[in-house]
Amino acid sequence: MAIQAWRVKDRYYRLIGSRCRKCGAEYFPPVYRCRKCGSADIEDRQMPKEGSILTYTRLHEPLPGFEAQAPFYLAVVRLDNGARVLTQLVDSPEESVRTGARVRATVRRARVDGETGLIVYGYKFIVV
Amino acid sequence: MPSKAYIASAGFTKVGDRWADSLLDLAVEAATSALRRTPKVKPQQIFVGNMFSAFGAAQEHLGALLASALGMSGIPAVKVESACASGASAFNVAYSLVRSGALDSAMVVGVEKMRDLEPEEVSQALALAESAEYTQFVGATFAALNGLVARHYMERYDVSRDELSAIPVMDHANAVTADHAQFRKAITPDVVSRSSMVADPLRLYDCAPVGDGAAALLLVNDRAAAGASPGGMAEVLGGQIATDEFSVYEREDMLDFRATREAFKKAMAQAGLSARKLGFVEVHDAFSVVGALSLESMGFSKRGEGAKDANEGKYGMESELPINTFGGLKARGHPVGATGVYQLAEAYIQLTGEAGKNQVEDADFCATQNIGGVDTTSAVHVLGRAG
Repeated sequence: MAIQAWRVKDRYYRLIGSRCRKCGAEYFPPVYRCRKCGSADIEDRQMPKEGSILTYTRLHEPLPGFEAQAPFYLAVVRLDNGARVLTQLVDSPEESVRTGARVRATVRRARVDGETGLIVYGYKFIVV
Repeated sequence: MPSKAYIASAGFTKVGDRWADSLLDLAVEAATSALRRTPKVKPQQIFVGNMFSAFGAAQEHLGALLASALGMSGIPAVKVESACASGASAFNVAYSLVRSGALDSAMVVGVEKMRDLEPEEVSQALALAESAEYTQFVGATFAALNGLVARHYMERYDVSRDELSAIPVMDHANAVTADHAQFRKAITPDVVSRSSMVADPLRLYDCAPVGDGAAALLLVNDRAAAGASPGGMAEVLGGQIATDEFSVYEREDMLDFRATREAFKKAMAQAGLSARKLGFVEVHDAFSVVGALSLESMGFSKRGEGAKDANEGKYGMESELPINTFGGLKARGHPVGATGVYQLAEAYIQLTGEAGKNQVEDADFCATQNIGGVDTTSAVHVLGRAG
């Protein structure tokens, strides 16, 4: 899985998503076609680093490779350009995590891959 | 030439812990049971619905594997996969070909072997239905996505914990008299609200269980129907699959189950029926909130009122529109790739009057709804009494 993570490292490190050149709609994760106007004229675009929590959950039984972090918060964040990101929340006290709370992107260790121990980094968000 | 299509027989295993039986053992058991009831029908093709046999049993190539085991090698046999909607998707492909006249008969077998896996491996297997790069990457399980949906639902529509519990409670009540159900034990809302937290606010009893199972159906068209089924037939009046944006968080409205809405609308139009003709519905309640949103997207409840309506008894066995007449995914069980075939098998035995203590009286028509992902794929079928 190491190559799978390397291929999208710009997405993971810098939140590079997509922008439709025709209608201006922006997306993260990136898209091949615009969902609003159907155009295939799509360019890479760095997403804004801030947004707000649309909904969240506290996950007690995560996927293998994430046990050491559990339980942790996951949220759907609506970025300030309208794109919606599924992300972990870190360094955010329990009382701060609520629907509507403002959050900011950061980069953290995402997981450790298998026995070779490759460390994959990626975006997580912090309640501000 | 287009023809009518009928389910001529059904066979299925009890859902649950089948330690002594392999994936193939279960598929053969269900298929043999269905074939035994229709000795005159020789299926021209086999369609296997299955989600993760490669991950769970190190086995692919299920079509030929099953055909060979049944002594049917020679005929075409394929696997159809669309996550938890694999069962009804396999059925939909078979139905479309039988109705078109390309095939006169077909067998559909849904099978999943889940209990060999450790709990975290089950989470991994189910997560295969979701984006590897953007959902699995953040550690999110399938339950986590549904937890996000559940909080959004409860906050937007002011739905209480006990209201959300109504569908699981009803499912368990319906399964008490269902021989093939995984859990034949009634529960109260307190049991749900005190069960362990999985993905806040979803608790263990909001979630369908992990189980092994297989179900099989024989399909025939008019050319193969004469004398095909001593046990009676059900006509398949419509069947449609629809899809939505892949990940639920990518959608403008996470609570709008567009795939189910479209598949249901088109299947009912194909059947030429209005919704009030339906005598019961088998709903894909993989999670309590998914059952509620499914009822809303098919138009049985207004938006935000699916769980509340269930809590007020709108969908009980004595109501105008019973749902999940053998316990649904929550209590009959959810061997994922088999689930859609179980729903159709249950619809078949209801319409042919073989449902025993779970019989819904005077139901001429019904619908089944089978979802993959968080309503990313939805397969809806409409059935009626034959003849």
